[in-house]
Amino acid sequence: MLFGRTKKNPVNLPTKEVVDWQTVTCGYCSTGCSIDVGLDIDGKPISCRGNAEADVNRGKLCLKGIFEYEIFRSPGRGTRVLERDHIRSPWQQTNWDSALDRLYSEIRRIQKKYGPDSFAIISTGQMLNEEFYTLGKLTRGLIGTNNYDGNTTLCMASAVSGYKRSFGSDGPPGCYEDFEHTDYLIAWGSNMPEQHPVMYWRLKEAHEKRGFPIIAVDPRVTMLAQNASLHLPINPGTDVPLMNAMMHVIFAEGLEDKEYIEKNCTGLEELKAEVAKWTPDRASQITGIHPDTIVTVARAFARAKAAMQVWTMGINQSTHGSDGVVGINNLALITGNVGKPGGTPLSITGQCNAMGTREWGSTSGLPNFRYLENEEHRKEVAAFWGIDEEFLPRKRGLTQTDIYKAMEAGEIKGLWLIATNPLTSLPDTDRVRRAMEQLEFCCVQDCYEDAESTQYAHLYLPAGTWAEKHGVMTNTERRVNLVKPIIDPPGDAKPDLWVFNRLAERFNAEREREGKPPLTFPETAPEVFDEMKQLSKGRLSDSTGMDHELIEKHRGIQWPYPAELREKGIPPKKGGVRLYEKPASFCHPDGRAKLIPLPWEDNNEHPDEEYPFWLNTGRLVEHWHGRSKTGKVANNNKFSPIPFIEINPDAARDLGIRHGEYVRLVSRRGDAVAMAMPTGRVPYNMVFMPFHFHNATNRLTLGLLDPHSRQPAYKQQAVRIEKMPDQEEAARLCMEMRKF
Amino acid sequence: MFERRDNEPEYAVLTGKATKEKTQWGADIELAPEGSPLRDEPFIVNGDEPGHNLRNPNRYKQHGFYFNADNCIGCHACETACAEKNGTASHIAFRSVGIVECGTYPAYRRLNISMACNHCEDPVCLKGCPTRAYTKFAEYGAVLQDPDICFGCGYCTWVCPYNAPQLDPVAGHVSKCNMCVDRLEVGLKPACVAACLGNALDFGVIEEIPENRVQAELSIPGFPDPSITHPNIRFQQLKTLEPEVKRVDSVPVKYRLDEDKGRYVAEADHDKAPPVEWNLKKLLTSHEMAHVAFTLSAQAVMGAFALLIFSGWFSIAPLAQVADSGIFAPLLWVMVALAAFGLFKLNMHLGRPHRFYRGFYNLKWSPVSREIAGVSAFFAGLVGSAFFSLFDNAFTSVLGNLSAALALAGAAYGGYYMYKLYRIPARPYWNHWHTGASFLGTALSLGSLLIGVAALIGGVADAALIGALSGIAFLGLLLEAAGIIVQYRQQHQASSEAAVSWLFMTTTYGRTFQLRLGLLGIAVLLSGGLASTAPLAGDTALSSVLLPAFLLLALVALAQSLLGRALFFAVVVPTTMPGAYFWKNPGFIEHAREVGLADWPQIGVAYEQHHKFDVKELLKTIRETTWEEKWDQFKRIFTG
Repeated sequence: MLFGRTKKNPVNLPTKEVVDWQTVTCGYCSTGCSIDVGLDIDGKPISCRGNAEADVNRGKLCLKGIFEYEIFRSPGRGTRVLERDHIRSPWQQTNWDSALDRLYSEIRRIQKKYGPDSFAIISTGQMLNEEFYTLGKLTRGLIGTNNYDGNTTLCMASAVSGYKRSFGSDGPPGCYEDFEHTDYLIAWGSNMPEQHPVMYWRLKEAHEKRGFPIIAVDPRVTMLAQNASLHLPINPGTDVPLMNAMMHVIFAEGLEDKEYIEKNCTGLEELKAEVAKWTPDRASQITGIHPDTIVTVARAFARAKAAMQVWTMGINQSTHGSDGVVGINNLALITGNVGKPGGTPLSITGQCNAMGTREWGSTSGLPNFRYLENEEHRKEVAAFWGIDEEFLPRKRGLTQTDIYKAMEAGEIKGLWLIATNPLTSLPDTDRVRRAMEQLEFCCVQDCYEDAESTQYAHLYLPAGTWAEKHGVMTNTERRVNLVKPIIDPPGDAKPDLWVFNRLAERFNAEREREGKPPLTFPETAPEVFDEMKQLSKGRLSDSTGMDHELIEKHRGIQWPYPAELREKGIPPKKGGVRLYEKPASFCHPDGRAKLIPLPWEDNNEHPDEEYPFWLNTGRLVEHWHGRSKTGKVANNNKFSPIPFIEINPDAARDLGIRHGEYVRLVSRRGDAVAMAMPTGRVPYNMVFMPFHFHNATNRLTLGLLDPHSRQPAYKQQAVRIEKMPDQEEAARLCMEMRKF
Repeated sequence: MFERRDNEPEYAVLTGKATKEKTQWGADIELAPEGSPLRDEPFIVNGDEPGHNLRNPNRYKQHGFYFNADNCIGCHACETACAEKNGTASHIAFRSVGIVECGTYPAYRRLNISMACNHCEDPVCLKGCPTRAYTKFAEYGAVLQDPDICFGCGYCTWVCPYNAPQLDPVAGHVSKCNMCVDRLEVGLKPACVAACLGNALDFGVIEEIPENRVQAELSIPGFPDPSITHPNIRFQQLKTLEPEVKRVDSVPVKYRLDEDKGRYVAEADHDKAPPVEWNLKKLLTSHEMAHVAFTLSAQAVMGAFALLIFSGWFSIAPLAQVADSGIFAPLLWVMVALAAFGLFKLNMHLGRPHRFYRGFYNLKWSPVSREIAGVSAFFAGLVGSAFFSLFDNAFTSVLGNLSAALALAGAAYGGYYMYKLYRIPARPYWNHWHTGASFLGTALSLGSLLIGVAALIGGVADAALIGALSGIAFLGLLLEAAGIIVQYRQQHQASSEAAVSWLFMTTTYGRTFQLRLGLLGIAVLLSGGLASTAPLAGDTALSSVLLPAFLLLALVALAQSLLGRALFFAVVVPTTMPGAYFWKNPGFIEHAREVGLADWPQIGVAYEQHHKFDVKELLKTIRETTWEEKWDQFKRIFTG
């Protein structure tokens, strides 16, 4: 030691007595990181670290993953089965048997009285593939309501819809390895450092090696926008005109990949005719992007050997969300940037298993990207499950957003919410409340007893969460990875798969009473996986070569991985699996991708004299969705414990709003209290507000729906900002709304 | 030992690069050359000393963090990984990310600054700590702090410019970044570095520039003046920033590029100027009131004692008459009580008040230790003087005088270091001679007024005494006033956090400050008036004018001292790292405490609190420490 200390003391650092590390896949975002959870001698999770061998995260984790071990026993976890007669009555504890009997009989009572589709089921992107498949089978095969959807409508529906329209099927064609090969990357409304930090690190690693241009299209100066080679500070909701103008330039200058288009696409002439109208000058007037910039970006994109586009909610959550995705696909197709290393339109998914519900949930169709509208698909699935094909509807039912509108219209009387919390997550909270007040019966199945939607529930079923359960999840790059139970759910809580199977028993009994054979509902996740993967045979997402053991061994396997490969002894690749690599291998019947013209009309609510500010919403790195998890992890929550807005300092000054003062935001839907944080990140006429907080942002949002995907536009609406003279009262109001 | 996996990713492994010999400050990077006795003593981490085969070859070289500010995305992975590894309470963080920003939309840039301890070449924390809880090890040059030694005075948090030591208001002690020396011992970079998702943080032998990086700058905007401590951190920051960058937390500090200095310097940000208010309650109920009580009482008593003793010894009229009067002994006991009150308040504000005896441990370096030693000597002498004044014989008189001499020596030594300990470069507002002027002024004004009030009550006051005491008080008050004026002129537009202190003085506490100035003015006028007129007026005016006026003076002077001293502690703005929107934002922390958000553990804000005097722990320590250890401990007070 230095400084003449004559006695050297031993050094004692804090340590954690981990005796066992168990590897599972993270339950937060769709990056799909592998986490080693450290258990102490009593089997209590006390630590997390990134798994060093997993190709996805290579030892890294974001701040949510680092503290994910704290979520198992956090306050608010549901440990008892609860029921009540009326939503204003106090909860009574009950047992699983009687609760499931009640759920069964309420479903049938409502269906009998108001029709089979009057009972709606809304699931999630948070469960495991085996659970999605089982719930889908239960709903489509036994319950028989067509009003069944996932909350993925709020985040990924536009990507799904856009992929289907362009390529004939859902399924992101790229992978993270594409970062290593790309020569030009456009991020459309995607703030990776905040939303997908570990994926951003993969991008950063690739970028440090090769230094390709990164173009960020975002109305806000996010960290990605700031660090990008070029930031296009676009006017909210005007991405499609920008894409059209880029295509205008590409065609006008003959930069398109004629050979690729010739071999792979249809609809070129219609597309050309539409984009001919979109000169950069015209688009500039709408988007606020300099016409020369549009030309520059279009040229560089088209000339790049491999050009990649990623996008997230900036595209999906808008009235032209599906069109935006199609526009991205159009750009990729006309430049030949699909299915090649570094050239891909990669939709970055939101929830940990949004992909899983898209593949297996049967919400918008049937398992493994099958369509209800397709007779052959209906027949295949009906035969596989052993049900009458006639029992399946011939077109998809309502989306989550439309289910709520049908509740308002009195067409839906009963609701089963599974691992989702619409009271916080849907736009226009007031309408959500009204809709839920009108239900005759509502069951909430969630791992949190204090999820706000339980306010309107008659039945609460405590579910397991994350690594209390067993099964697989699929990430953004289509990697199927394992979650296994490393701790039991608390109290009476049960894994969702168990709940579905017990409910299925009740419906199967009914079938048997009618003299029909029961449907199979395997009890364990590996068994379910073995059943469901048979439905993927020969399809785009063929996973017949996988099983739980192999998945765990490889820390996740990207689909497709058909049985044929495995039988030939070809192990799954570490990464870099892409779709549509072969010519004309798209999923439309002719094998070609469609180039779709995108006429554009501005239908957003714009700021005006009464409501002079854009309200833009989005995510913070420290929070997960409605904060039911991260709001209780102090080392996540403390970075933004209360709702706030980013407001331009000049606007704040003109309104007389001081740094850190509470303000009242008012929209045509309602009002909200938030703390004002002036920053030059946002333009003068815009405020940014994170969506995570209950009773805050979504009291204001408009949520116009995309015509194709029915996904709400959360990011474009108008508000006004009022000073709150009584700051103490404002603080009290804000605090009361934060109670768990 | 830290468990190293077989497959640790490359980014987590120390590169072992060590090509330089000197730091940019000119210090040796090799801290203990081959053969140095420093290498002989075992470096024991968590109970074991790793085998030689595991030893890092660069173990005895100064290591440090490397921060590429261009790359930091503010994702909090570093701070969270640190919190996870160290199990820190949520209101504490060894590493934090602060934010500064510049420009306006869309020409806007934000700079996230991830900062922990810089394991400085000149660790002011170590030198300041009175308990010797800090050690700068030859191993890695790590500055480590031992919470088991710390008694929670928080002085290290005052002197550190980077906010590295964390005083935990709940646990009552300080803890800080430990460089993850357990990871270093097995060849791994610290947890925060391994967790970084922006490729911004790195770690290695100091001055080594990591691969793909070009700079090894000593500072970036928002980082305090590195010349204070020679921190072992190097930066890269290539992207162009505006000449002015601002903080996003509540503190009205901005940073301006000083072309001459070649770095950004702090200034007051008048856009964030708070409204002009009283804030009396906030001022007088703060946790720092213990320091107000201690410094005021100690200085008043020291001043009064010195005046009494000197005038007694040298028969300086008219003060000598007080020393000779019957009130001398009672006055001494009043002074004992006052000083004891101050010491009690000071001790009980510690996080671990029962560890008070450790306050002397760092006489070698710490002005706090010296202050405590001096004040303790003064107090012992004062008690001796008071005790022997109860007797009246030659023997006790000698002992009384010896006690008084001890007290005076203690007062001189302790008083000097009481001033010196506030000369903290990281607290520019205090780091000015006005602090000394204020302390000396207080000793003169409150000391003389204390004597006067006692004389008045004891019935021994006359016009001459009133005049003389008022004169001394006048000098003290004038000194204090002069200090304020000079300090204001030098600091209120300074390129340092001192300007921000003056901003708070004139806004947040603006009304209170005006009141204080008014009171000071009145006190100066009153004391000056009394000093010049009392001897002329004579004893005839004593009870009708002089005594009431003197009492008024005493009250006014006391009030202005109280307000002045409370302001002294309230307005100081350290050169700390910038905070973020909520985390480490002083405005939000205060707000959360005021409105009760701090009641919820997930908010990450804890209340200030007092800690009990744990007699059991004290007895246990006494019992469990052998006499030999006690003797060694005593020796190390002087040897270090």
